[in-house]
Amino acid sequence: MAINTDKNSYTILFAIGMVIIVGTLLAAIDSSLKQRIETNKILEKQQNILYAIGMNNNEGNSVSFVSTDQAPSLFDKYIVSQIYIQDDKIVEDDEAYLIEVKKEKTLAKDPTYDRRLPLFIAEKDSVRYYVAPIRGKGLWDAIWAYIAMDENMTILGAYFDHKGETPGLGANINQRFFMDDFIGEKLLDSNGNFGGIKVSKSNLDPRNEDKDDHEVDAIAGSTITGDGVSAMIKSDLRLYMSYFKKLKQE
Amino acid sequence: MGLLSKKDAKLILDPLSDNNPITIQVLGICSALAITAELEASVVMSVAVLFVMGVGNVVISLIRNIIPSRIKIIVQLIVIATLVIIVDLVLKAYAYELSKTLSVFVGLIITNCIIMGRFEAFALGNGLWRSFLDGIGNAFGYAIILIIVGFFRELLGAGTLWGYPVFGDAIDKTGLYAWGYENNGFMLLSPMALIVVGIIIWIQRSKSTHLIED
Amino acid sequence: MEHIELLFKSIFIDNMVFATFLGMCSYLAVSKKVSTANGLGAAVIFVLTITVPLNWLLDTYVLQDGAMKWLDPSLEEYDLSFLSFILFIATIATMVQLVEIIVEKFSPALYNSLGIFLPLIAVNCAILGGSLFMQSREIPSLELAFTYGIGSGIGWWLAILSIAAIREKIRYSNVPSPLRGLGITFIITGLMAIGFMSFGGMLTGGDEAPEAAAKEIILESEIDDIEEGDQTVLDINKEIE
Repeated sequence: MAINTDKNSYTILFAIGMVIIVGTLLAAIDSSLKQRIETNKILEKQQNILYAIGMNNNEGNSVSFVSTDQAPSLFDKYIVSQIYIQDDKIVEDDEAYLIEVKKEKTLAKDPTYDRRLPLFIAEKDSVRYYVAPIRGKGLWDAIWAYIAMDENMTILGAYFDHKGETPGLGANINQRFFMDDFIGEKLLDSNGNFGGIKVSKSNLDPRNEDKDDHEVDAIAGSTITGDGVSAMIKSDLRLYMSYFKKLKQE
Repeated sequence: MGLLSKKDAKLILDPLSDNNPITIQVLGICSALAITAELEASVVMSVAVLFVMGVGNVVISLIRNIIPSRIKIIVQLIVIATLVIIVDLVLKAYAYELSKTLSVFVGLIITNCIIMGRFEAFALGNGLWRSFLDGIGNAFGYAIILIIVGFFRELLGAGTLWGYPVFGDAIDKTGLYAWGYENNGFMLLSPMALIVVGIIIWIQRSKSTHLIED
Repeated sequence: MEHIELLFKSIFIDNMVFATFLGMCSYLAVSKKVSTANGLGAAVIFVLTITVPLNWLLDTYVLQDGAMKWLDPSLEEYDLSFLSFILFIATIATMVQLVEIIVEKFSPALYNSLGIFLPLIAVNCAILGGSLFMQSREIPSLELAFTYGIGSGIGWWLAILSIAAIREKIRYSNVPSPLRGLGITFIITGLMAIGFMSFGGMLTGGDEAPEAAAKEIILESEIDDIEEGDQTVLDINKEIE
């Protein structure tokens, strides 16, 4: 070869050149696609929330959302108000769905910051749905969910998703057989305290007929993801308790 | 094989059996264990690896003469990571649904040592066309094992194939389950993937005895 | 206390090899002899201990959404997390190469024992896995990231050391000839992983303080004298081919 690839100067030049090329390439692609990706993410969020209140195109056992063209108009139609709860204030905000739970959680590490908890109130066939976004950790990475509840915190619908759980195991939390189990489960126990819902490996109720046991059937082989789901429900949904208490008093 | 000379055909066929990346070269084990609980995931991963190996090997082969030897590992890793990230970003913008299925695999592909291993062992020393064939061949060899393992784990572990029930309904006790058959949930756990691969190695080496280690 | 818990967790419960199956390739390829396995294990501990805290700094001050506001408030809106893969890999590869150069210069003896393993480490997915877990599990502080790095490294070292010890002994057993070598190693690893799954139930008991568990650790060290030389180099080269 004509070039001496062992020389220090060459190595450094090559490294600098590579960093510049790769850096510009990635930055250019990222910034040119950013708008589209953001739009896609917002549409997905609307689809997820609509899914939780039962607006979907499910056929058989598949999970399918309303189409992206319809999502914004359906979202405007069914979501009657969007609020966020900060400390004990309840603020109405038509862009509450843009609040990122992840960012709020990070900010909340600072004790002086009061976390904003978004809540979407929907009305469909004269039933009121309260949809809360929650977020937690699975085995590999983040997991999140949109849980639709009624005034008594009984679950009316749920959509779970994940960033990178093991395909075929933990990744199945976004499948019907797992999500549909949550419908009808109660978050509050008979005394009105927060009971949560446990993803249990040992409940003797695989068809989930007992809706008062605060348990759903776990997915075989994905203990940690399941524990993550239980923990996420416990930690994040509990925060909405005060709101629902107030709602009852009114 | 009019297109390929004998030597080139060997590049594709060897990794399928006698020089299989998983059972002989011991490359790409982590992903083979992690994602084979389901047949569908195995196939998706195989296709993704096929793509990355084909393109990656060509790129590395193209720049092989200008890479400074001292930082070649960094260069290789960056080439592969850049490729995967670009594909991921483009999919996110134009095929969001597809990208959600695939983004789980992104991390697994970047850390997959089969790709690095073939860069190092082959693409760094060979021309474009041959590197491409080597990449494809090894990806197929990898795919075969993944699909076999995925097939048995899903069939025995969940009683389904590609999500469709094969033996009847486990909860309603229909089909085979009415006779007392039970799914072996243990097959879905990762340790069983190791044991299944172990058994594949056993079968393979008892067929081709020249591969036996002492 | 936090540190002990995280250490225990990263060594046993979330063991890199047996719980998450990362770093399998070098684990299987370089576990024929205890001495080589020990060398590679030590190198992995070393590199993880350096790179996890380093990537933690990178993640907290550069990559995370709004992380760059310490530089200038106007930079708050930038989210560079799509770059984390590439930057983590670059840090790891650079650190490995730097360590190699420094060790070679100042301590040839150490270089002889560690040096040959260093290039292998850059491609070891346990290393990148360590950094990515650190990011996704949101390890809260630099000290904890440091502990996590050491813990994951020790877990990996323990795993490769025990499989190497077993492989040395199994040579005297009558294993069916097609299974010899790689085949039986796969199966033993599977069995060991099943054993390690029993740790999975620890420290998951909910809100109760999990102090008691950490005390019951019994370490089985089967470290032989470390001997190096050209033989190991040959071994490894052969296995990489």
